[in-house]
Order: sequence, then C-alpha cells, then structure tokens
Amino acid sequence: MEHWWFQVPLRLKSVFRRRRAEGELDEELQFHLEHKIEEGIAEGLSPEEARYRALRAMGGLDQRKEEMRDMRGIRWLTDFVFDIRYAVRSLRRTPGLVAVVVITIALGIGMTATPFSMLDALVFRPYPVPHPREVVTLVSTSHDDAFGQFSYREYLDIRDHTKSYTGVLANASLEPVGFSAQPGATPIVRGGMMVSGNYFRVLGVEPQLGRGFRDDEDQVPGRDAVVVLAPEFWKRELSADPSVVGRTVRLNGKDFTVIGVAPESFPGMFVFAHPDFYVPLAMASVFSTNPLRSFFVDRDARELVVRARLKPGTTLRKARNELGVLAKAFERDYPRLNRDRGAAVRTQFEMRTQDNDINWKFGVIFTVLALALLLVACTNAAGLLLSRARTRTREIAIRLAIGAGRFRLIRLLLTESLILALLGGAGGVVVGYVGISLLRRFTIPTELPIEVPFRMDLRVLLASLALSVLSALFCGLAPALQSTRMDLVNGLKSAEGEELRRGRKRLWGRNALVVAQVAMSLMLLAASFLMYRGFQNSVAKYTGFHKDHLLMVRVDPRLVQYDAAKTQRFYELLTERARETPGVESAALTQNPPLGLDNSGDVAFVPEGFQMPRDRESFKAPIDTVDEGFFPTMGIAIVHGRGFRAADTAETPRVAVVNEHFAKHYWPNAEAVGKRFRLENATGTPVEIVGVAQTIKYEDSPVDRGIDFVYLPLRQHPVARMVLLLRSRDDPVQLVQPVKSIVGSLDPNMPLLETRTYEDLFRYATVDGPRVAVELVGTLGAVGLLLAIAGLYGLVAYNVSRRTREIGIRMAIGARPADVLRLMMGRGLVLVAIGTGIGLAMGFALERLMNSMLFNAGGVDLTVYLVIVPMMVLVTALAAYVPARRAARIPPTVALRYE
Amino acid sequence: MSKPVDLVQGTLDLLLLKILALQPLHGWAISLRLRSLSSDVLQVSEGSLYPALHKLEQEGWIKAEWKQTENNRRAKFYSLTRLGRKELESETANWRRLSSAISHVVALSEA
Repeated sequence: MEHWWFQVPLRLKSVFRRRRAEGELDEELQFHLEHKIEEGIAEGLSPEEARYRALRAMGGLDQRKEEMRDMRGIRWLTDFVFDIRYAVRSLRRTPGLVAVVVITIALGIGMTATPFSMLDALVFRPYPVPHPREVVTLVSTSHDDAFGQFSYREYLDIRDHTKSYTGVLANASLEPVGFSAQPGATPIVRGGMMVSGNYFRVLGVEPQLGRGFRDDEDQVPGRDAVVVLAPEFWKRELSADPSVVGRTVRLNGKDFTVIGVAPESFPGMFVFAHPDFYVPLAMASVFSTNPLRSFFVDRDARELVVRARLKPGTTLRKARNELGVLAKAFERDYPRLNRDRGAAVRTQFEMRTQDNDINWKFGVIFTVLALALLLVACTNAAGLLLSRARTRTREIAIRLAIGAGRFRLIRLLLTESLILALLGGAGGVVVGYVGISLLRRFTIPTELPIEVPFRMDLRVLLASLALSVLSALFCGLAPALQSTRMDLVNGLKSAEGEELRRGRKRLWGRNALVVAQVAMSLMLLAASFLMYRGFQNSVAKYTGFHKDHLLMVRVDPRLVQYDAAKTQRFYELLTERARETPGVESAALTQNPPLGLDNSGDVAFVPEGFQMPRDRESFKAPIDTVDEGFFPTMGIAIVHGRGFRAADTAETPRVAVVNEHFAKHYWPNAEAVGKRFRLENATGTPVEIVGVAQTIKYEDSPVDRGIDFVYLPLRQHPVARMVLLLRSRDDPVQLVQPVKSIVGSLDPNMPLLETRTYEDLFRYATVDGPRVAVELVGTLGAVGLLLAIAGLYGLVAYNVSRRTREIGIRMAIGARPADVLRLMMGRGLVLVAIGTGIGLAMGFALERLMNSMLFNAGGVDLTVYLVIVPMMVLVTALAAYVPARRAARIPPTVALRYE
Repeated sequence: MSKPVDLVQGTLDLLLLKILALQPLHGWAISLRLRSLSSDVLQVSEGSLYPALHKLEQEGWIKAEWKQTENNRRAKFYSLTRLGRKELESETANWRRLSSAISHVVALSEA
C-alpha cells in the first residue's frame, strides 16, 4: 500500500470526475481503433472490412471499457453513487409508501432514542474528566452493602498504603449549606461538597479561574477556609464575576476565601446532582452531618466516597488484590469496627448499575421495550418494502435477464432501504428530541442543585444513526433476497403466475412478520399495564396515613451555627409556638416525612432473643427520628403499645417504635412490645420497643414491598436538620406566613429550606415520578399497537390484491361474498391467534423479569391479560376485516380482468 | 501467421513496463512495438492491452498524460514512474531466474 498517493487521486478522479474519465476512456480506445482501421486500409481492405477487423481484434468495445473500469478498483464506490441516484429516482415514484415507511422507522428510532438517552445518562456516559476509564471507586463492603463508604481515617490509610493509583481522592456527600455572598446577608441554601485536597488534581480537572486545592489544604482540621466554586453556580449566583477569586463568602456562618472556579466541562461526578461549590475535607467541623460522631477520629464514621485514578498499566485485578489485603489488615487491626468488612474496587459501570438502584433498571427496561418496538416498526417497514418489491417483479426480472448480478441487485435494493432508514433516522431524532424534552420537564423538588441529565447529545445521535443503518439492513434484506431469487421466465411473463405457484412458500415471511408484530405489541401493552398496576399497588398498599391538610417546613440550625443545646431549645420553642398558632390542629417534628427526599439514615441493631446468623454482628434498618406529635399528626396508627411521649427524654430508658413488618420479622410468634434490641452490637445500648406502628411506604421508590422500619424519639436521639409538620384546620398554605414569622421571631437568620404542602410531596413521589415511567411504556405500547394494526391491514390488503383474480374465479363459479370474506380473513385471524399466543408467553416472561427487578409482587397478573388479549384480538380482526370485506364486494367481472 | 505463443501469466506487465522504460508511448504505438519487438511471436490481444495499462496506472507504476502526436492528434501517452522502474527491475530479475531455471530443466530432459 506504499503507493496509495498514486491511487487515491486517480480513484477520486474517477469518482468525482466520472464524465471526464469516461470520455478519456472512449477517446483512447477510439484513437486505437482509427489507427487499426488506417492500417487495414493500407493493407488493401475496404473501409468496412478494416473497421470490422479492428473491432473484432478489440473484442468488443464495451467489454473492454468495463474491464478498464474494474481495474480502477473503485467499482463499489461509483456503483454506490449510481445506486443512490437510482434509488432516489425510484423512491420518488411511490411517495405515499415512502412516507409511511419513513414515519414508521422514525417512530421506532425516536422511541428508542428517548430511553437510550436515559440509560446513557444513568449508566454509560463517562465521568467528565480526562481519561475517565482510569477512575475507579473504592468501596467498603459488608453484608448489607456492597457499595459502602469509608471513614476519614480509613481513607488516609488507603491513600497512603496503596501503590496502584496515581492518586486517591475522597469526597463527602452533597450537603445543603447556608451560603451568603456577603457576610451579614441572610444565607440561602446551596449544595456544597467536602473534597480531599487532591480532588481536582487526581481527576485532572484544571480550574478555569484561580486554582484548585493544594494537597496540604486538607491536612489541618479547620485551618484552610477556602472554597472552589462550580461553574454553573459562579455564573448563576455571582454573574460570572472574574474578580471573585480572593473574595470572602460565608458558608454555614463561617468566612471562606474563594480560590478558584471549576471549568465548564466539569459539572461534578454525580449523575443527577451538581455541587455548587467544593470545600476541603479538613473543614468538616463546619459541614459534618452527623454530630454524634467525630469525623476525623472515628474509624467507623463512614461518610466518604473514595475514588482513585489507576496508574497506567495497572490492572483492575491487581488493584483489587491490593485493596483486599488492606481490608484484611483493617479487620485484623480493628476487629470490633471492621468485622466482616471487606473492600472492593468498582468501575464506573459497576457503580452505576448497583442492584438497589432502580433508575438504571427502568432505563434498561425502557430501552429493551423500545428496541422491541423498533423491531415491530422494522418488520412493518419490511412488509411494506416487500409489497413494493412485488410490484417491481418484472423490473427486477428484466434486470436479471440482461445480466445484472444478484448481489448487485440486492445491493441496489439495500441502498433504497438505507436511504429510507436514514430519512427515518432523521425523523427519529426529531421524535427523540421531543421525547427527551418531555423527560426533562420532570423536576425534582429539592433545594439541592439537581439536574435531569437526559439530553440529546452526540452519543444519542450516533446511537440513532447506528440503529438506522441496522434497521435498513433488517428491513431491506428480506425483501431484497426474496425478490431477486426468482424464476426468470415466470417473472417476465407475469408476477401473478409466478406467485400463485410459489405463493404459499413465499408468504411465509410476511406471515411471520405479522405474527411478530402482534406478539410484540401485546407484550408492550401488557408491560405498560403491568407497570401502571405495579405503581398503583405499591402506592395503595402502604399509604394509610394523612396526606391532606399538612404543611411541611424544613429547617437546619447547623446552617446558623447552633450547637446541640441551642438546637434542642430552638425546636422546643418552635413546636410550642406552632401549636399555639390559630388554625393549627397539631404540630410534629420528623427527620424525614414518609416519601420525603432526605435520607434519615440507618440504625444497626441486634434484637434480643433473636438467633443472629453466625456470620453477622448486627442488622440494619432505616430510621426516622420523630417527636411525640408525629404519629397523631401524620395519622399513622399505633397498632400495639404506645407512641412516643414528652416524658421519653435523655434521662429515661431508651425507647423505640417499630413497624409491623419489623415486629413480624424478628418476633413472628410473639408480641414485640416490651422486647428490646441493642444498638450497634450485642453489647450496645439497650432500647425497648414500646409500640408497633402500621407499615407504610417510606421511600420514594416504586418497589412494592414492606420494609423494616424503626422510629427513635428526638429527645433521645438529637438530630439537627428536621421537618416541622403542621396539621391545619383549613388550607395548609394559609399557615406559611405564620410559620415564617414564628421562625423569624426565634432567629431572623434561620433559612426555611423546604416549604410546601405534604400533598405536593406525596404527589411528586407517588404520581408524578411513576407517571413518567408509565406514560413512556404506555406510549410504546400504543405506538406498537398502531404499527401492528397497520401491518396486519397491509398484509390482508396485500393478499386481497394478490389474489383478486382468484377471487373473481371463485365468485364466478359460485362462491358467495361470505365465503370470500372467510377465505380472506381466515389467514389473518390464524396469524393473530399465533401472535397472541407468542405475545402471551413473552408477556409472562417480561412480567417475571419486571417482578424480579421492580415490584417483587410475584405471581401472574391475569386481569391485565383479560383486558388486553380481547382488545388485541378485536382490533386486529378489524384490521383484517376491512380489506377482506372489500375483496368480497368486488364484482367478479372486475376481478377477472384485474391484473 | 503461425499460432502466437500464449503469454506466460503476468509477463504482459513486464513487457509493457520494459517497452515504456525505453520511451513514453501511446496505446497504439505500444501494440505496434509489442508486435515488432517480439517479431510477431508474442501477440497480445489488443483487447487485453488497455485493461492491463489501466491496471499498471492504478498500481502507480506508469502514469498517463494527454499529448499531441507527431501528426497532431491528441493521444494518451504512458510513461514509467519511479515506482514502475523499481517494479521493472525486480520483475526482470524474477524473469531471469524463472527463465534460466526453465531452460535448465529443459536442457536436463534432453541429456
């Protein structure tokens, strides 16, 4: 290939300057011929004889030219250009059919682009840093958690005792932080994140302004009050002021110096949340979330995400081994804190496909469903192209007869479908764009900077393009193969004669297409119904509590630097004054109301009298910290024992309320009230269960299952960030102003974080969120059904037109219209029946999959099929009936003459 | 005219390169030259001459130029490129090896 520089220009010349190249070819051969003729005349031949001899010696001018063209080696390219011209010409002859095929494919691809953009954002999109594949996440593993975090001490050990990485960084979770641009201004709540000093350096992120942290800025607790701003925050809150570096801002009441602004390309490492600013880990005293633990000292205060950048050439396996050895050392050195605790290195993909994360699973399910729909669309398009190919039987036969190669013809037909698919792909991008903007409309109600990450970007565009090409192959290949595999003589005589002989065999493909369509759309419709019912069930099952007449307000005294005592006093005064407010029936405090967006954490416990499995030290359950007003205010029933009282204080024995699920789980045959569990481990603080509350839905998750849940009294388990719940006599919104003035009178600097009616929150968690999912699948199913109807209608209509003459003969010799109707519809109905059978089987399989991934409902939901199957049969039968009836009404005289 | 000897596979390229190494020629002249040089023993079908020339051009061994002939007609003149000269050398060496080997074998069988 050393001489490509000769070939490329030559080949390009013959592609782009075809006419000229062809002219030269002609001229050269002509020149030769003329000389040959002159030679002949000189030898004494007549001009005609000389000419004849010259041509014969050449052996056919056109054959020579073909050979010379072949020699150029770009045959395929010039042919391709020809094919495109030809295809465009021939497609323009059937604009209606082209439009239908293009729209079909556009729907298919657009419907796939939308969930793919979701899946891409949730799973595949790489970290926005250089060489993102090198970045891995180190996790602490235990029985309950395969993706646990590390404590600060553990992070330091890992950083200092591993050799596989160019750097090991850590960050805490995104926390609400009180921010004021000028000292003295009322703080607003923004999302801040503590990171290690090497954070930006290890990730390879260069600030666009100022500098990143120095490694030594997280060495001394409390010394370096510096902050790096995120680009969006800098533009939004500080109007992209370049003089911001060096300025002082106030975070949670403490002054910080702005040292830099992160680049536009780095919105943060999370899928959803984008931090507003970054502060060093060493400033943890200002931000730490858990006042009970000492961030810098406790080895089990595991609040840090640890990531690392693999050294080039270091394998994942090596890194895993190294970390495994280190985890063993932890377990040996700190047997109490690290018992049964391992560590693992996870890739980005592993981190984003965690088993307990439901979002990506929805992404997968949607994408699979959408691909099934694309398949339906393609089979439909293939069916249409097949009927188009049939009308061209004679044209194709002529081409074959005059020597076109079969492969060459298939290529021509594939070029046509490629053009169709690319047009469809372009339309699909439009459909997908609309779909994605609908997805983006969905907002998450929180004060934290959270962005819906789904977007139509280059990656989605490329995927759509690839899908277009694939679907071109898929829907073009079958018609191309079939229409070029023909018996020439019959093809030339009449399409019908040929078809009647091989009709049965030939139609097999089309029948299969219709069966596939019916099956697919049945499956999709069943899936959307199943999801809808799944969501409905999960909402209905565990939500027996008050949702109306409730106002919620979230406050966090840490934002204004309250200590524990001051916080307790604040909450006492707050609830006291709230209860005295006119229009308030009752008031309560909770760390996170049911279905709330905060995470109130877990408690590790050992139930007394319960045989612990040999390999574990404690169980875990999510908790909520509430005051004595919570159960009555929320209307959560206490089924046994009592709720909390004001008398449950730090001085009295510790108590807890558990839910029924918890009680049945650990004491299946006994009364749970009066039993005790110990916190952390078998020798921990004993806590007495004083009441059992009804099981409700706690988390904003569509998973339909009851979970263990524990309530702890606020007075015994102080928490800073709480939600005040007010039950109103009238419209809860009327209480907003009174609450503001109460908080303002207690502390004018205290920001209200989340003020809304509980109904809003509930609607978001149970209706708005799942509705997106149900709408998406429902749309898929509906479009699928439309496509199936069109496909079936097309097939029967095609059959009718193909057999019109046969119908005429039958009617001429005495068949009644009813017989014709039966004949024409019969095949369609058989196909619907087979398709329904397969669709049912696929639906059951999908239901099992969805149950195992999402709902845990178990069992087959028959009602879904009782609705869908008859509907499918009815609609598809109608699609077959309409053209069949038309056939039955054709007068025999017309039918007989039909060609 | 006695029956022309079939060309050994691939030797047409060699002949064409050799002829063009002497001077740039157009197609007709090449066909005349072929006939006269081989004293009518080697007859190249005029049909296969042009595809062969095109192949050599595509390989980059010869290049073509449109020029005026002595009697003022436009014709496509082929000439050897640097690559073509190299190719000619190696092909010639190959041919020498091959033909001497064959004459050796032929000589043996007569002894």
